[in-house]
Amino acid sequence: MQNELKLNFDKIISLNNFSDSQKKIKQENFNNYFEKGLPNKRNEDWKFSDINQIISKNFDNLNFIVDQKKIFEEKDFPLNFEHNKISFVDGKLYDFDFKYEAKDKILVDQNLDLDDTINQNTLLNLNSAFLTSVSKITIKKGYNVKKPLILFNYLSDGLKSSAINSRVDINLEDDSSLCVVSFLNENSEKNFINFRQKIKIGENSILKNYSLDPNTSENIKYLNKDINLSKNSHLEYFILSEGSKFIKQDINCNLDDEYGSISLNGIINLENEKHHEIKTVINHKKENCKSYQLIKSVLNDKSKGIYQGKIFVSPEAQKTDGYQLSRALLLNESVEFNAKPELEIYADDVKCSHGSTSGNIDENSIFYLMSRGLSYSESKKLLTNGFLNEVIEKISNEDVKKLVKKLSGINV
Amino acid sequence: MLSIENLKAKIDEKEILKGLNLDIKPGEVHAIMGPNGSGKSTLSNILSGKKGYEINGKVTFDGENLLELETEERAHKGIFLAFQYPMEIPGVNTNTFLKTSINAIKKARGEKELDAIEFLKLIKEKSAELKFDEKILNRQLNVGFSGGEKKKNEILQMSILNPKLSILDETDSGLDIDALRIVSEGVNSLRNKNNSFLIITHYQRLLDYIKPDFVHVLKNGQIIKSGDFELAKELEKVGYEDFN
Repeated sequence: MQNELKLNFDKIISLNNFSDSQKKIKQENFNNYFEKGLPNKRNEDWKFSDINQIISKNFDNLNFIVDQKKIFEEKDFPLNFEHNKISFVDGKLYDFDFKYEAKDKILVDQNLDLDDTINQNTLLNLNSAFLTSVSKITIKKGYNVKKPLILFNYLSDGLKSSAINSRVDINLEDDSSLCVVSFLNENSEKNFINFRQKIKIGENSILKNYSLDPNTSENIKYLNKDINLSKNSHLEYFILSEGSKFIKQDINCNLDDEYGSISLNGIINLENEKHHEIKTVINHKKENCKSYQLIKSVLNDKSKGIYQGKIFVSPEAQKTDGYQLSRALLLNESVEFNAKPELEIYADDVKCSHGSTSGNIDENSIFYLMSRGLSYSESKKLLTNGFLNEVIEKISNEDVKKLVKKLSGINV
Repeated sequence: MLSIENLKAKIDEKEILKGLNLDIKPGEVHAIMGPNGSGKSTLSNILSGKKGYEINGKVTFDGENLLELETEERAHKGIFLAFQYPMEIPGVNTNTFLKTSINAIKKARGEKELDAIEFLKLIKEKSAELKFDEKILNRQLNVGFSGGEKKKNEILQMSILNPKLSILDETDSGLDIDALRIVSEGVNSLRNKNNSFLIITHYQRLLDYIKPDFVHVLKNGQIIKSGDFELAKELEKVGYEDFN
């Protein structure tokens, strides 16, 4: 695959009009990747999800050059609430519509501002090497976006064995707010999606970010998010992880200044042989910040779920509140769940905790429900849905909460 | 309606019921009294179909072999167990659960399921009868309920499902005097010539309100004496240990 990859890379350089500095950054990223290859289980961050093995098991060859179709028919996705939207096709910006908003308060543009430091994560090297554009959404200072923004991510029909590299950055300027729902709603054949996002939340700003993967697909996905929070800003993050064959969400949050807060919650709900991982790092860098995390997993058939969560508290970050809890229900003996909670604390006046439980469904609860006329499978479903519903109830946007309940079928 | 012949039950090689006989006819209220560990809860668990027991003997309900039916089938046929310790079901709204339950039973009986409006009307009516705060029905099932609220919730379920045979497993334990009266009134309002009750208790107090037709004393896995309400009074005086 390596030689093919090199040809692909040379081709992408020759096909595009990159500037010399862009070419240089791309080449360095490519070289770093080429030298080290994909992460594998010898790497601590990847020990539960060997992406190198997963890619080679699923693809004989990967095509890194995807021509964007000029015309794409957006699939009708019924949303029964007013919303703004941006659609992406094969990872590239396709169309957007902000009909409910003041036009000069939201900017959507494309550029190719790549980081000039070379990341040690080779998946990000790959992303930088093959990107042809970075989409950027900016919310202007003082503007509260009225309606939720839906990001639709489509893949062209018939696309297969392709590597889709995408990057969508969001910048909330000071005193602004945005609710964004990111939909991974492609139903294509098997592809590898490498999706990076950098988010900056300005002072006194609020971002609600909902990352939903409801549809069954054969895709292998890596999502990497870097989120920086300024003074007195708030992030509400929610993950619905259930559709794709493989997903790893790598979420890095930096509480860069005082009084920032994060509520990060997620559901991993799997069947068949799906394999999903949520990995979070919350960096408490300054005083008086708070972070709360709740991840619940329900695993069926031969599925595998992983939660790795780290809370880092720097010496300056006194008066930190940092909590994380992972709970998993294992519905049979063939499933696997791994949790790796970590606290790394260098300040002395902090409140931090972590917890992780995993267990079977409670047979006494099943008996209780069956004695009220529900069958075994109905009882099990009600119990697991109730278990997951506790996380969904944390979604503060009512329209999105209803949508998530509908998409996941969890309505109790 | 319910006939139990020579019922024996073991759990983990330990014999708990050792040949129990009981016959309940439509409209009758039976009370079973007995000391801790006498097999009272085992009896109610077996009647409602809990797994994990090795069972011998014969139990028929309306002529059918009860022991062959699954737990939910027994519920469909009209058996209801009010739990001693009702389970907390996190994340499940109490109203949603009640509606799922009643409609599962109606569906199994080939009756028309209740729509949202019919259901709410029924809930309103029954909660008012039981002086049950409706707000609590919007909370997660039994989660954070007080002991009394949990028991009242059991009685509310019973009154909504209107079962033929209601088994009350120590429903009086942990109830204050007012709650005890409300629970008893709930039971009494369901009494008619078709509905029967099996009330399991340690104390006479609940029976003062419900007035059973028959009282049985369960000791060491067998019914050692049966009688009328006077028997309960005698028990309260003598105590279980010296009762023979």
